[in-house]
This record gives sequence, structure tokens and C-alpha cells, in this order.
Amino acid sequence: MGTTKPRPSGRASVAKVQSLPDKTFVIDNGAYTLKAGYAPDSAPPEDQSKALAACTEIPNAIVKTRGNKIYVGSQLNTHVTDWNEMMFRRPVEKGYIVNWEAQKEIWEHSFFDEKTVRSKDLRITDPEDTTLLLTEAPNALPALQKNADEIVMEEWGFGGYLRCVGPSMNAWNDVQSLFGDPIVQKANTTVSPKECLLVVDSGYSHTTVTPIYKGQPLQRAIRRLDLGGKHLTNYLKEMVSVRQYNMVDETYIMNEVKEAVCFVSNNFVGDMEQTWKGNRKRGLPDPSEGVMVDYVLPDPNAGKKGFMRPHDALLNAKKRKGGLSGASAEALSEDALVLGNERFAVPEILFTPSDIGMKQAGIPDIIMQSLSVLPTGLHPAFLANVLVVGGNALLPGFVNRLESELRQLASAECAVRVKCPQDPIRSAWLGASRFATNKDELRKVAITRQEYQEHGSSWVSRKFTGAI
Amino acid sequence: MYHVELIPNSTTTHATPGWTYVPDRGFDPAKAAITPAIGRKRGIRDPGRADLSSRQNNAIVRHLAELDRENHRDVQISIPVKQKDASGRGTRGKVTSNVRRILQSQKTFRNYLDDEEAALAQQASTQQTQQQTSSTSSSHRPSINKITKPGSTPRRSSTPLTAAPTPKPDTSSRSNRKAQQQQQHQRPSSTAPTSSRASTVTTAAETETETPAPDKDQPQDKDNTESKEEEEKQQNPHELIKSEHDNDPLLKSYIPSAPSERIMQALLAEPPLTYHASRAGPPIARKSPRYFCCMCGYWGKIRCKNCHLRTCGLGCYKVHEDSRCGAFF
Repeated sequence: MGTTKPRPSGRASVAKVQSLPDKTFVIDNGAYTLKAGYAPDSAPPEDQSKALAACTEIPNAIVKTRGNKIYVGSQLNTHVTDWNEMMFRRPVEKGYIVNWEAQKEIWEHSFFDEKTVRSKDLRITDPEDTTLLLTEAPNALPALQKNADEIVMEEWGFGGYLRCVGPSMNAWNDVQSLFGDPIVQKANTTVSPKECLLVVDSGYSHTTVTPIYKGQPLQRAIRRLDLGGKHLTNYLKEMVSVRQYNMVDETYIMNEVKEAVCFVSNNFVGDMEQTWKGNRKRGLPDPSEGVMVDYVLPDPNAGKKGFMRPHDALLNAKKRKGGLSGASAEALSEDALVLGNERFAVPEILFTPSDIGMKQAGIPDIIMQSLSVLPTGLHPAFLANVLVVGGNALLPGFVNRLESELRQLASAECAVRVKCPQDPIRSAWLGASRFATNKDELRKVAITRQEYQEHGSSWVSRKFTGAI
Repeated sequence: MYHVELIPNSTTTHATPGWTYVPDRGFDPAKAAITPAIGRKRGIRDPGRADLSSRQNNAIVRHLAELDRENHRDVQISIPVKQKDASGRGTRGKVTSNVRRILQSQKTFRNYLDDEEAALAQQASTQQTQQQTSSTSSSHRPSINKITKPGSTPRRSSTPLTAAPTPKPDTSSRSNRKAQQQQQHQRPSSTAPTSSRASTVTTAAETETETPAPDKDQPQDKDNTESKEEEEKQQNPHELIKSEHDNDPLLKSYIPSAPSERIMQALLAEPPLTYHASRAGPPIARKSPRYFCCMCGYWGKIRCKNCHLRTCGLGCYKVHEDSRCGAFF
């Protein structure tokens, strides 16, 4: 099965050795959103927001509304108004592209089909003259990697192609200034990777810990926690459904609730005591004000979005009174979720998976597990450069909690620094786009279309694991 | 679990094919757990209260699978049918067989993972037989399935790697240089597979009794601690205020040296772990599990006698008992 000869197109050009096309298109193919855009041609712009302007986030899903309408990819952001009972089909499972039927549809919709592509910055007009840089989650199954290679090269026929481990791309970012290290003025302007960086990538389907040395992952130390944003959303959904309204079909809405209200507690026991309902009965001067919030659910009929507001314990009483005296119908019709300990108990499972009976360790422990298989000489360098990326990094308090727990676990001689980039979701894309400007490095690892046609897909997979 | 065993060469006719009665051979804790012989007082005989019962395990597995779902219900969302105008395809002609196979595949991640495991198991078994037949062959490639997490099982490589620690015992500065020369001599000849080399490096680093291969820029004397400290002072002269306790071995902070470039190259050249091998293990320090109230989310202080779910107090327990207690357990 391995070496299948693709169609012999472009026979005339076989004679001369092809080089990589100049244009590089970077796709960071996440399970929840895919991050895509062209890498800059020359040196990357200094300003990060300017560099990120080239990157677009597209929902990586095909959805079905309750009206049985089907939308693809970026249509979610524009066409959909009613998010109730939304059903999702995602081509990426557990972080890896599994269903290429759906993935191809989304890619074509977003990048190839001129009718549906949002802007010309995202359009891939001629794949033959484009290098594709595709990221994947670490420890992918070889069968899935081979599928990806074959589809990319045989279906679209990109001129150049590189499949690489997503978290490792973060090392190419300007991490020095983030950590506040003195920047060594370099004579040349080419981008170079950070020497030692430990990336904690907490995404939609899982959380991975990847130590990176000079831009390459140290494979033996990559560890994965099988909990991600999806699990947090589902867990919150389950809690709310048991305690308040039945929200089991409202994945999208509960995701928004999660993004609005959840935080990582730095004092779990204290926060738990604060939200105890017994406090109210005892007539204590309600200390739960700080934690307890209301989330007003969206109302698609009135076209209103959901929002969070501080908890008002007397709201129900007011409502009853207002109903008698004929207050505005608007205030009566709104539905609100009261969220107390759910706010911090949900993200807590990333740090204490045993709370839901899981046997795996929490993120700080996993970092230590990952380091335990590396020479001790590397530990200080990695512990001082921990970078948190992925959507869960946006949870307030995540970085602080990780830093304080890691500080307790790490040996006293090591400095522990945990940082989160400005945009943790697009950080891997940004790093990949900066890497793509370093043409020498790119040429070393990427393959051309001609090479694929000569050697076939099993050669390519060996090349990308660094065996050749 | 009751133990049902098929006696291999019994001549009796099988009234019920596939199983047969076997004599009870003494005390079996598994059986005793189900049908306790003595009393009904809990906790007298079974020590494994901390262990989860299989029912609880199943409940946890089911819960985790529930959390892993994309939608609450199973739905089929088909790709929207496009009007065929070949706009996406453009200049490209027909679809290759590979592409067609991949696009039509309806395999899920679970299927791929099972395939992978089966392939690895087969590979391992064939490798074993190979090793049995040709024990002298030293050509074992670092295959993926052989690399285990060193935390769980300290992997011993079959290739002897004594090159680095051997020149240690007599370490004066002169012999050290000699050792380095030796080292360089041996370097080209040592063609041990990368993974085994790297793993021994880490075990050496973990025990910390022997440091990794000597660096050129950092000469090290194991026995002579005083001279080492002098060197340290030379390296960072404006770092610390001198005191009499500097030489106290208890107060000395030991920072291991960074591994050499050769080790790093070996580490980088390793193949990726398998999907299962990269899964994080259980916590290093076991904390006692926390339980939460299934009603309000506060600490789960009391356990329902019927269904073993936790509640925080009588208030929540009453609600639970009235409405939700499944009592399936």
C-alpha cells in the first residue's frame, strides 16, 4: 500500500529539481477552530498584532441547527443566529484529523472555493505554487499521519509540504520578551527558536506537555492529559442540568457560559466555603458575593445574547413582586443560571483529575513526570520557561495556579516561570508563520511535490519523523 | 467473580459446551467478597475499602465517556450537497485511489487506535521470535513499541555503556584530561542505538551518583569538592557573600550541569512514543480523593446508603433520596 505513485502530472518539469514554493500557507488544524493564513514573505513584522492580522480563526465544524439547516466552517460566525440545540460534527477527534470527508469540506469551503472563501488572504488559488505547513498534535497515529500526507499531496497537490508537531512551533515566537529575558541583539534578522521551552498546550480535546529543545520536541518526554475544553464544557453542562435547567443539548451555549464565568481557583477550599448555601441561612453577611454570579441565558427570539452579572439573591422575590404589580415583561421572561462553585470546580479537574475519578495526574504533576525522563541538567532551563497555550490558558487564574503548584513540586534551586502569550490560541500559528520566514530551516525539513511523487507517502512519514 | 474453568482433556461429555463445574479449592477472596461467609458487618473482612469496586469503576468510565462526547445525542450530519460546478476542484482531474479510500473511510479514532495496537502487538511478537532465533544479532533498531516510560520500568539496554563512568575512579586533573581523550577516542566507535544511550543517560542523571559524560568546558572532580567550589567561585565571582558555612555539604546547592550536545542530539533523534505511552501516569504523590455533594457541589460528607453517591448534609440528602436516588448499586 505504501508507495503509490500519484498521477504523473507535470512530466516536463521532472527533469529539473524543484525547490519549495515561496508562498507558505500555515494551517494550525485544531479540533475546535482551525487557525490559517499566509506566512509573511520576508522578516516577520515586529508588532505581534500586525503579524496576527494575517491569521484567521475558523470554526472547524459542520453544524446542524434545530431547523435542520447545515452550516460549514466560517458560516457559523455569520449565518447562525439561533444557537439552541446546535449539533456539531467535527473532523478532528482527540486532537487528530480523523474524518477527512468533513475536513476536506471545511478546507475547501474556507480556502479553495472562490465563492465561499472569506477574503483573498485566505484563498489558495494554486496549490502547486504554495507550501503547506500543517500542524498536528504530538504522538499521532502513523495511519492518520499517512492519510493526511496522501490527501494533502494527492488531492490538492501542494508544491511543498511540511507536517510538524504543533506545540513545537511556539518556540519560534518572540518568547524572550514575554519572559522578560534580556534580548541578545542578533546581527542577522532571521528568526531562530528558543533554546529550551516547555509548552503546555491545553486545547479542546486534550492537554499536552511538550519540552522543546531548539525548536524540536523531545519526544520521550511528551505527556498528555486526556482532558480539555470539551470536557470542561460537558462537565459544566452536566452540573447545571442536574442542579438547575436541563441544558444537555445546549453544548454551544454552555461553552459560552463556561468562557464567561469559569475561573481557576487559587484557594479551592476557601472558595468552596464561600459558596456554601448554609452561609445564607445563618445570616452571615453574604460573603458569596465575590464568587456567585448569574448568567442570563440568550434569547434567540428577542435576538439577545447571554451575559454574566453579579448574583442578586433577592431577584426572585423582586420578580414575584414585579409580576403582581405588572412590571416589564422583559425582566420576567429572562432565564438566568446561578453559578457558584461550578465556576471553579469545573476547571479544577485539569489540576485534580481525581475529582471526577480519573486516574491521571494534574497538569503540574504531569510537567514533573515529563521532566523526570530528561537529564536533570535540563530541568532548570525548562522550569524557568513554561509557556501555556491553547484555549484553556484564557481561564483566569490558570497561569497563577500552575506557577504556584509547580513551585511546590520543583526543587528549590530551580526558578519557575509560567507565562501565557498575548493570544494563546493563535500562538502556535504565529510561531509557525515566523518559522516559515526562515527559509533555510524550512527547506531542511519540508518536502516538495516532486519528492513526494518520487518516493511516496511512507518515505514522507519517515522524513517527517526525522528518520531520513 | 466466580471462577469457571474448562478442564482441558476431560473425557466427560459436555452437557453444556464451553464450561464445566470445577471443585472449589479453598478460600477465594473474590468469592468471599460477593457472598461473605461471616456476618454482614462491613469492613471486617475486606481490606480494600480504598480500592474502587468494579461497579464504581464502570460508573467512572461511563462518566468520562459521557464527558468526551461531542453532542449529547448521536446524530448524523451529512456533508451539504454542492451543486457540481467543479469550482473547488478546478484544474485537478480525477481522484486517486488513495484519496478515494481515505475520504470514504468512516473509521473513528477508536478504530485507528485499535489497528495501531494490533499492529504493535504483532510487531512485538515477531521481534521476540526474531530475537530468540538470532540472539547474537546486535542490530535492534529502536522501535517505537519498545520505548516505555522510564518512570514505570527502568529500561535496561542490552548494549553495555560503561564508556562514560569508567574513567571516573581516579580523578586528578591529568587523568581527567586523559579520560577525555579516551572519551574522544571512543566516541566514533560507540555506535550504540540512540534510544538505549539516552535512557542510560537519564538513569545516570536520576541517581546523581555519576554525572553524564564529561563536558569539555567544565572539568569536574567528584572527590575533590574544595577545588570544585573554587572553580564555582571563579565562574561567578560577584555572586555570593563569603561565609564559613559555604563548605557545608548540607547547605551547598547542587545544580547539575547541562547535558552535552551529543546527548541532546541523541534525545532529539528518538522516535515519538506511541499514543498510549504518551498518556500521563497517575499522580506521584497520592492525595486522598475529594468527594463532592452530588446535589449542590459542596463537600460530599455523607454517602447514600443505597447508591453510594455523596451529599453534603441532610438537606441535600433528603432531596436526593426523594427524587434522584437510583439505588441501582
